[in-house]
Amino acid sequence: MVGRLLMLAAVCLLGGLLSASLVRFSPGYGVDERELDPRLSQASVEAIRNSHRLNSGLLSYYGHYLSGAVHGDLGSSLWLQRPISALLKERFPVTAKSVLIGVSLAWFVALTLSLAGVFLRGFYFDISTTLISGVFIALPAAVVAIFSVYLRAPVSVAIAVVTFPKLFRYLRNLLNHAYAQPYIMAARARGISRAKILFRHILPLASPTLFALMGVSLAVAFGAAIPIEALCDSPGVGQLAWQAALNRDLPLIMNLTLLVTLITVAANMFANAAHERAM
Amino acid sequence: MNTPRLRLICALVLGLIFVLGLFAGTVSPYPYAKQFREHPNVAPSSTHLLGTDSLGRDLFARVIYGTRVSLLLAPAAALLSTLLAGILGGFAGLLGGWCEKIILAATDLSMALPLLFVLLALRALLPLDISPILSVIATFALLGLLGWPSSLRVVWAATKNLRNSDFLLLARATGCSRRRMIVRHLLPNLRPVLFAQFWISIPVFVLTEATLSMLGLGVIEPLPSWGNLLRGLEDISAVSANPWRLTPLVLLILVVICFQFILPAQEETA
Amino acid sequence: MPSPLKSLTLAILLAFALPVRAQTGGELHLCLHGEPKTFNPVLVDDEASENVRYLTGGVLIRLNRQTQELEPALATSWKVSRDRRTITFHLRKGVHFSDGTPFSSEDVAYTMRLLMDPVTHSSTGDAFRSGEGTVQVQTPSPDVAAIAFPAPVAGLERLFDQVAILSAHSPKKEMAVLGPFYVADYKAGSYVLLQKNPNYWKHDAQGHALPYIDSVRLDIQRNRDIELLRFRRGELQLINRLDAEQFERLQHENPAVARNAGTGLDAEEMWFNQSPVAPLPDYKKAWFAAKEFRKAISMAINRADLCRMVYAGFAKPASGPVSPSNHFWFNAALEDPKYDPQGALRLLAQAGFRLENDTLKDRTGKPVEFTVVTNSGNASREKLATMIQQDLSQVGIKVNVVTLDFPSLIERITRTFDYDACILGLVNTDLDPNSQMTVWLSSGENHQWNPSQKSPATAWEAEIDKLMREQATAPTEKERKAKFDRVQQIAAEQQPFIYLINKDVLVAVSPGVVGAAPVVLEPWGFWNADTLRLGPAPELGVQK
Repeated sequence: MVGRLLMLAAVCLLGGLLSASLVRFSPGYGVDERELDPRLSQASVEAIRNSHRLNSGLLSYYGHYLSGAVHGDLGSSLWLQRPISALLKERFPVTAKSVLIGVSLAWFVALTLSLAGVFLRGFYFDISTTLISGVFIALPAAVVAIFSVYLRAPVSVAIAVVTFPKLFRYLRNLLNHAYAQPYIMAARARGISRAKILFRHILPLASPTLFALMGVSLAVAFGAAIPIEALCDSPGVGQLAWQAALNRDLPLIMNLTLLVTLITVAANMFANAAHERAM
Repeated sequence: MNTPRLRLICALVLGLIFVLGLFAGTVSPYPYAKQFREHPNVAPSSTHLLGTDSLGRDLFARVIYGTRVSLLLAPAAALLSTLLAGILGGFAGLLGGWCEKIILAATDLSMALPLLFVLLALRALLPLDISPILSVIATFALLGLLGWPSSLRVVWAATKNLRNSDFLLLARATGCSRRRMIVRHLLPNLRPVLFAQFWISIPVFVLTEATLSMLGLGVIEPLPSWGNLLRGLEDISAVSANPWRLTPLVLLILVVICFQFILPAQEETA
Repeated sequence: MPSPLKSLTLAILLAFALPVRAQTGGELHLCLHGEPKTFNPVLVDDEASENVRYLTGGVLIRLNRQTQELEPALATSWKVSRDRRTITFHLRKGVHFSDGTPFSSEDVAYTMRLLMDPVTHSSTGDAFRSGEGTVQVQTPSPDVAAIAFPAPVAGLERLFDQVAILSAHSPKKEMAVLGPFYVADYKAGSYVLLQKNPNYWKHDAQGHALPYIDSVRLDIQRNRDIELLRFRRGELQLINRLDAEQFERLQHENPAVARNAGTGLDAEEMWFNQSPVAPLPDYKKAWFAAKEFRKAISMAINRADLCRMVYAGFAKPASGPVSPSNHFWFNAALEDPKYDPQGALRLLAQAGFRLENDTLKDRTGKPVEFTVVTNSGNASREKLATMIQQDLSQVGIKVNVVTLDFPSLIERITRTFDYDACILGLVNTDLDPNSQMTVWLSSGENHQWNPSQKSPATAWEAEIDKLMREQATAPTEKERKAKFDRVQQIAAEQQPFIYLINKDVLVAVSPGVVGAAPVVLEPWGFWNADTLRLGPAPELGVQK
């Protein structure tokens, strides 16, 4: 357990450092579009350039940031000129809400449809659900975002639409696989009710993979949140990340990467642990 | 459920589209960049099968050439990423221990790093005077190089399962050398998994390129690609006035669905 | 009158009376296209913050956006000294800030001190920095303020339109304002809510207090398509600066809603990299340095097509840095740009280029090929570049178009100079060309084709330097104009910037908004926000 947590911490720290170096050495770092404003005097332009320069090396900057982060000071965004902790506090709930609602919605629909598919076992039902999920997989996240705006659907619905198809296919394959097991077929032949089979046998069998899927779907949903929020103008972390990337805002990108790394690695670790425990 | 007949139909459709893209030069009536400035935004007619875009370029020609870009380069990127995932995932699954831990951590890290940002940065590093075609190839190569994390977990899980399987145990018990085990026993069993991942990745890369283009970072003008053409959808009210602009989206959906029907179902589980 | 007729007449009279009474109050709902970075008027630099400042800030002199003339605002009169270094204001009496603090000359002094503080770096303050030295403000009485500058400032009075006065004493600091509205609520990333300032000094002709509307809600929305969608649904009542395609469609559906204010001040321009430190091969540098090359490129571009196809006709070909809507500074003597590919080829022949098998080759036989960079995310600019690509292919020049994200683009054009040609927009918020000093001076940072020169690289750049310095200190506006006209003439001969088009200012106004009169100057649609009214509207427009 302690080893796991240490691993988590190490990976997160590495992630933050990597993203910081990525931004620092990327083309366009340290420029500000205000430099193109002809109304500013030379002194002002110099001042703007200096404010973007890292006054120390990257490693010491990172160390400085970490010592501040322990006390809750996450630095200040260069682009928005506001403390990052305040920004995250405002925006994270928005994204968390849409992602959680979206993922739950996707899970609900995917579970319902795949269970219905197992119980009904109709050819046309299978084809139509495959078609629908196929159409949804084929829509780029950007297109889904545009349609959701047009139909006045909230961001969570867009996220659900993006997460649903893969989830549905995995779930359906999983359940089909489970139902095809010899002892399940034997149980059915003996007349045990479908519901009993489902809860007593199938779910325990499939639960480790289900947990793994939960972790993966959360990660996918968070990833999809970035273009969706950027296109729907939703004031969440995704839009912040996109604008931060466009503006080469080093402190913000570093913080956001740390956050996402934390969530992703934690989700996967949780999934792995559940998997192992169930085995 | 994926009946053989269905798979055949899908394969035929895909093949047809692929061939159309390959022979874009002969199939399309006009070059993709030619601007018919007297006829912008016209509806489909006998001279312009799918009408023209806002700069007067024939949409049918652009769709055909766009098919060539998207359908030829996405498999290449998918191949690259599957190979990388195969090698890394194989090592992780086979060797276990610290190697496995490091590779898995690296995978998680890569998924957390802002992919869009990396692409943005790498694209800005490209020299300015390369031709549009080279830049497209570079973009897809980058996608391939950065796309391995999603396939890696599947390959890793499969390799771990195989490592602990009975027949490999037997092979070792009979004194089979390591190299022989890998080449003769492991790889052939990994092949279906790798192939499945390759097949799944193709539409993913097509879609990623589409999303990139919709965000303005994809293929350079005037070269068309599906993503490029989908940018026209951003203005929804224009689409309802010119519904033929949805053609690239329809084509994309068709291709992705066909890809999914062709793949045998049981090999998708992660 | 028989009884039913009487009640009918009464009903009709009431029907006419009601709309008049319903025209005060309500909330105006529109969008900002970016996050406002600050509410402190002294530090404002970006468009979103400027919009908020326009609605909340009280200024001494207001530039009437419609007539382009100066009007008294918080200053009832002013006088500029003969050496143009001092300006004396007589301030309006009995004015209070939004929180009740009285307004006096101390506040003017405090604002100027903050603005001219060397630590403050804002475009507003920099406009006043004409020379070394400090700015002295004298306040002989509560309603007289005299500001003395170390050196003459060109167009001094007009600059005060940007200076929103801060309170020296109010506990609310910069949130206490003198404008028609004050910031009541701000949710970062979402919206800014402005409420009517009960102490606003302005009254209408009948003596009623302005503004008529109760509040203004500014949503933060970057996506223009979503904005248009919301406007159509009646959630928004005003859109500033629509895209030409959106405008065209809106015009077809609902002509009353789509308002074209006229040719704007902004221009799209293209320039070639003439910096000596650019990592370009020498033969390319030789091409770009040749005046005939640049002029030929300008002649080979079909500007009429650009206006027609990229902007649906809502643009005009541009001949110089000043748009015809800038009544005073526009040089009408400049020739309109011609589209003449044959003339371009002749001009190129003079510089040693020749056309061989549809490829233009230079003196040494190298085919002419270069790359144009522009910023990604601007669909119109990408279309411009693509059309120019086709135009230039008609004279045998192969053009590559590369779109980069903005920071990478800026790095290339200001730091590494690793580019051939660039297409960007010139944003003119100011009528007076003095604010473009750093563009025209060869030592200027924004002298895009060859910035920050130690000494002028060419004779014509030296002449422009001289003319710009002279116009900054010339005694009368007429003399200043004469000098700047000459600068425009030189620019037209040498084509360091190839001006492409001037876009129209396209605004969408819901029929529920009464009194809107969009203009070509910022802030376009709501410059007269304090006199707008909200009436009932059929489908578009929301009344609260």
